[in-house]
Amino acid sequence: MKKIISIIMVMALMLISSLTVVKTASAEEMKMTGTITKIALAADGKSATAVLKDSKTEALVTITITDDLTLDKFKDKRIVEGDEIRTKYDAEGGKNTSKMFKKTAGC
Amino acid sequence: MSRRITAIMLGCLVLATFAQAKDHPGKAQILKDGYQGPKTCEKCHHGKAKEFLGTVHWKHASKVDHVDNINPNEEYGMKNRIYTMCNGNDIVNNLKEVPPNALGKTKFTGCNTCHPGDHTSDVGSTGPEAEQAIDCLICHSSKYDFSKRKPVKDNNGKVVMTQDRSTEAAANIGRPTIKNCMVCHEAAGGGAMIKRGFSMSKEAEVHVSKGIICVDCHQVKNHKFPTGRDPNNWAHDGIYMTCAGECHSETPHKDADYNRHTAKIACQTCHIPKTGGAFSKDFTKWEKQSNGFYEPSTLKREVNETSPVYAWYNLTVSNTPQFIGPKGSRTDGKSKIYPFKIFQGKAYFNKKNGQLLSMDFAPPIANGDSLAGVASAAKILGIKDYEPVPGWQTIYFGSNHQVTPKNKALSCANCHAVNGVLNFKELGYGSKEVDKLTNPELYFEKLLKQQQENE
Repeated sequence: MKKIISIIMVMALMLISSLTVVKTASAEEMKMTGTITKIALAADGKSATAVLKDSKTEALVTITITDDLTLDKFKDKRIVEGDEIRTKYDAEGGKNTSKMFKKTAGC
Repeated sequence: MSRRITAIMLGCLVLATFAQAKDHPGKAQILKDGYQGPKTCEKCHHGKAKEFLGTVHWKHASKVDHVDNINPNEEYGMKNRIYTMCNGNDIVNNLKEVPPNALGKTKFTGCNTCHPGDHTSDVGSTGPEAEQAIDCLICHSSKYDFSKRKPVKDNNGKVVMTQDRSTEAAANIGRPTIKNCMVCHEAAGGGAMIKRGFSMSKEAEVHVSKGIICVDCHQVKNHKFPTGRDPNNWAHDGIYMTCAGECHSETPHKDADYNRHTAKIACQTCHIPKTGGAFSKDFTKWEKQSNGFYEPSTLKREVNETSPVYAWYNLTVSNTPQFIGPKGSRTDGKSKIYPFKIFQGKAYFNKKNGQLLSMDFAPPIANGDSLAGVASAAKILGIKDYEPVPGWQTIYFGSNHQVTPKNKALSCANCHAVNGVLNFKELGYGSKEVDKLTNPELYFEKLLKQQQENE
């Protein structure tokens, strides 16, 4: 009996582990270009959300930003609402986490 | 680490702390009187506005004496150069509103968007009006509101660049920070970190990670900036800089073998093993973006994804319509081996004289018509006799930033192993010399000892 329970527990553990791996692997990298309609900085300044209007579909997409360089650009308004952005982000569990967030404009 | 470098780094730290803690001596006066542009600065810094009008940052050009096939009596730079990373320049691609695209959208664009004037007083302008148009605060304020700096049309339909001249911005001034510099310098070539492809972040640049900022190395005198010797960066303020000087000596390593290399190998060769950004562009083929505007098709990499190509460089430059890059050889007694990012760009050449043609970006941004851009530029420049044919140009960009921590710099085997990063044959060495240069006898004992110490 003990042996059967052990086997079941090991199998359950393996299942949980594989599900975790699948969950990790399920984060999908997305790309888009869009115009910022809203920026909200967290009170502690360590993260922000930006709502982008997709230039192709006009859908509104909320992206969470945590990298210091981009946060700094929000704080001193080098990036503001109305700017056009090219972004890459991981979409997972209903949350979109920025991997790249750059203005399209350059000289 | 040498005592000298330690002392300088401590000095930087103390200065940074001091600078943050200590207000500009004129702060109270500025808060009392408000800020009226450069004339406020001139109350104490008399003559600085006029002085600034004579620098490369304002003129976007200077006389150039180290580049082939140009007129030594004329000035060259972003103002008027034509090449294939930036196929336009301040003249043909002057800041303007582009025609509406198919979606009816328009926008402002131009090479001189970053010029620190108000566009009414533009690149190279002089006189009292130009002096008062200088945007001192964009370089000197840590509280500059960049949303206030944008191109707009005035009542006469002329495009002007607005500035943040708020009292808050003026009350928070000092030496330019990395952010002040990079707001313009990271956006060149068509977007963030495209042109030279380096990042001035703590993660990417060892100097930044130690609290050193741009102007600690580019030590400005009278608004004139010392620069390095990038073969594709021609305009200069007449002052050059190298790593060796106040911070590093000509023999900066504890290891004598490494120090022997400095006679023929530039510091950057071992200490800047990666850069990034655009490595190829096609100005004859513009790609439609999801917003309805077009951009020149561009191949690019992240800032740490491009391995350099290495070449001898005697600090003079070969300049032909098809090639801009280093001159030099292992035998001229002046050259060292430097790292370069090779960029290849496609644009239109004039079949009638073989010269590269420039492009006004406004037409192709709106509708993708690159030949309309060439026609507009030709009209602006008064060129009537031309026949555009597509062709490629190769440019060597110097790798001079994004210095890696020393434990990640190139070591013996990175170059001297048979599959090393240096192509000794192409660098001018004969077969027997290459055999000798790639023999493990050169480095085996040293690396073995290092390996044992690290294990």
